[in-house]
Amino acid sequence: MKNEKICKGVNLFSHKTDKFKTAVISLTVSAPLDSNAGMNALIIRLLARTNKKYPTMLEMNRYLASLYGASISPIIKKSGDIQLLTLCLNVIDDRFTLDGESVSKAGIELLCSCLFEPDVTLSGFDEENVEREKRLLIEKIESDRDDKRVYSLNQMLHNMCDGEAYGLNEYGEIDEIKKITPKQLFEQWKTLILTCPVTVSIVGSSADTAKSVIKPYFERFEKQELCELRTEFITHADEVRTVVEKQPVKQGKLVIGLRAGMTYDMDNFAAIRLMTAIFGGGTFSKLFSNVREKMSLCYYCTARLVSSKGIITIESGVETENMEKALSAIRNELEDMRKGNFSDEVIESAKLSLCDSLNSVGDSNSSILSWFLSSITNGEFKTPQEIAGMIKNVSREEIILAANMVTEDTVFMLESEKEVE
Amino acid sequence: MEKKTIRNELLNEEYYEINHKSGLKIFIMEKPDYTGSFAMFGTKYGSVDTCFRLKGEKEYTKVPEGIAHFLEHKLFESEDLDAFQRFEKTGANANAFTSFDKTCYIFQCSDNLNESLEILLDFVKHPYFTEATVQKEQGIIGQEIKMYQDSPDWQVLFNLLRGLYVNNPVRIDIAGTVESIAQINADLLYSCYNTFYNLSNMALAVVGNVTVNQVLAIADKVLTAEDPVEFEQIIPDEPEKAANDYIEETMTVDIPKFALGFKETIKTPVRSAKEIVCMNIALDIIAGKTSPLYNSLIANGLINPTFGSEYFIGRGFASPMFSGESKQPEKVKDAILKSIGFFKQNGVSDDDFSVSRKRLYGLALRSFNDVEDIAGNIVDSYFNGSDLFEEIESYKAVTKEDIEETIRTHFDADKMCLSVIK
Repeated sequence: MKNEKICKGVNLFSHKTDKFKTAVISLTVSAPLDSNAGMNALIIRLLARTNKKYPTMLEMNRYLASLYGASISPIIKKSGDIQLLTLCLNVIDDRFTLDGESVSKAGIELLCSCLFEPDVTLSGFDEENVEREKRLLIEKIESDRDDKRVYSLNQMLHNMCDGEAYGLNEYGEIDEIKKITPKQLFEQWKTLILTCPVTVSIVGSSADTAKSVIKPYFERFEKQELCELRTEFITHADEVRTVVEKQPVKQGKLVIGLRAGMTYDMDNFAAIRLMTAIFGGGTFSKLFSNVREKMSLCYYCTARLVSSKGIITIESGVETENMEKALSAIRNELEDMRKGNFSDEVIESAKLSLCDSLNSVGDSNSSILSWFLSSITNGEFKTPQEIAGMIKNVSREEIILAANMVTEDTVFMLESEKEVE
Repeated sequence: MEKKTIRNELLNEEYYEINHKSGLKIFIMEKPDYTGSFAMFGTKYGSVDTCFRLKGEKEYTKVPEGIAHFLEHKLFESEDLDAFQRFEKTGANANAFTSFDKTCYIFQCSDNLNESLEILLDFVKHPYFTEATVQKEQGIIGQEIKMYQDSPDWQVLFNLLRGLYVNNPVRIDIAGTVESIAQINADLLYSCYNTFYNLSNMALAVVGNVTVNQVLAIADKVLTAEDPVEFEQIIPDEPEKAANDYIEETMTVDIPKFALGFKETIKTPVRSAKEIVCMNIALDIIAGKTSPLYNSLIANGLINPTFGSEYFIGRGFASPMFSGESKQPEKVKDAILKSIGFFKQNGVSDDDFSVSRKRLYGLALRSFNDVEDIAGNIVDSYFNGSDLFEEIESYKAVTKEDIEETIRTHFDADKMCLSVIK
């Protein structure tokens, strides 16, 4: 895996390999996560759908099909207080075309032209396309609300990070999306292109071709002043905030947010990552073996570290009447972590499991791409093997110390509404 | 021991098929440029296998709905260390899943493959059930069932299956219901196990940084030879027509979900690679991203990118389906029927055919990237009497006429049901 700067504000991650039948190449614009989130999300989705040369979806889709089902997908994520806007190309390797033709270079050119050569006039993006994309983005937000697990996690984060950028929805808010105009989008597109850092990620055998096609585009649109991107890390929660919501659901959802005590994304990372795994990151973990297996309270109960924001999230699906019981069981397990009540075997199991997964990141082009995307906000690029090495070296004392840095911030409960008889 | 090489020139890939002396079919694909490996140990036994008897037995056993899935959960347990605890010593990421027609135990690892493979073969071949452990699982699976009951995407599919099928057990939930799993006991679990977990009904696939000799050494060590078990099943008669043409449920969703399916009358239990490829191309021509239907439905505000189609198939059932989110599902249904009618009448253009074929070939190629997908597809294709490469090869062989025939014969309006969650 390679990491280099190709011009001002443009960073390149690449992994040249002929292991895979298809290549994955992506362009990621990093923008501050703020009230423009909806507008930015709308732009990246518009760019993935049409461009100057293929101004309708039908024309674009037929061209992509002719490139053996190549696809250009928009991916919108938040990483700390930063919004990552990605256009991701998936295209087959030229070795496997049926008539020996070359398609990957055409795919890469199309990807670049989607970002840099959109279908715009001086009055902005095409109005019809914008209206369609507004509807599709609003329906995406509605659809996320219909998935109770996603909804509950988002509600917890929204409450926990109220007043921080991270509390915002990366897709924006429905009411604001409705008001956006084609002209505003055009202005915002220019701001994104000219001021936001970009990360290029390439996985596949055509890594060199990709770099040579992509570089001139960025040189043409050279960035002047780069926008500032920073994430606020709150290391400690003073008190626990509890939010309860009722809906007509069969199963309740319990989501807990913890502050991990980190001051930046790699701060004490290995110890906190390992601590989170022992606490709730696998079948060996305390949450799985006690809250699920011994107490039989739930099907899933997991903890996950979000290092880009220095928080840990715990998620479980439980019967409403068992909500308090599950909450206190989870709290007991966390207290046990702080006291060091866990075996040396479980430390070894967690280390083995984490390192095993890290060592096989290179076996899948989508895992490599995710690795690159998650590295964008890190100050310094590390390979999965380097992270595995750091995790292996964590001591029992460091795990206990990490657990004692953790504070409970927010509890969100989605409870079942009693049905009216 | 019989060892057969299955090779594909186009992809430059090959794997081995071995008849192990224990009676198990073993498949191995060596990929030395990968760091890790993926193993899948599966049985041809799923939620649709609800009524059976061993050859020579008088009575059929009718088992509670959801027992195959329950059995999958319980196999992880043993008298001392359960399987998860044993995998903790190797670092492998182990799991299992139950579908309509198979149950599979899997792990992925980058290290300690021999140890993990030994655990996999050993725990699946050593059942241990007691009344107490059965009871404990009822709580966990009860929550799993409720989780799915709150999922509109899951409910819209199962409502559709109940709308299409009258007797076929594909209409029952894979995990059963809280009531049906309450009837499960250790004796019933053993009865299912002894019928369906015979090695002659199973397959093992290992793909990745592995060698044939490595896998065979473990298989020789762990597996003891088994005489094949023969069993009989009752396949209920299924009327040709759909049970209902419309089924609706309210779930307080912000955007309604829909699924539209066409029940097929099938003469053989599984579909051939060619049939699958023909249907995939047909569905892409009717409703894929390059179709006029898809683009006009998007332009008219009737669907969003969640819209898609699939050939929903398994042992004993087949149904082309369209699903997605829409504020006006009835209008989407009408547009789909109109489009099918158009192709039935006018046939398929050369251009449509070649665009869809090329697109789907490219998409199929993606499934040869990850060891997990490859192992899964090897087991699937073996259970369906085919091999890993037959499907992708079929994309080269099918003709436009094959697709026209598929469209003419597989979409009958009176075998159709629309399911809506709103």
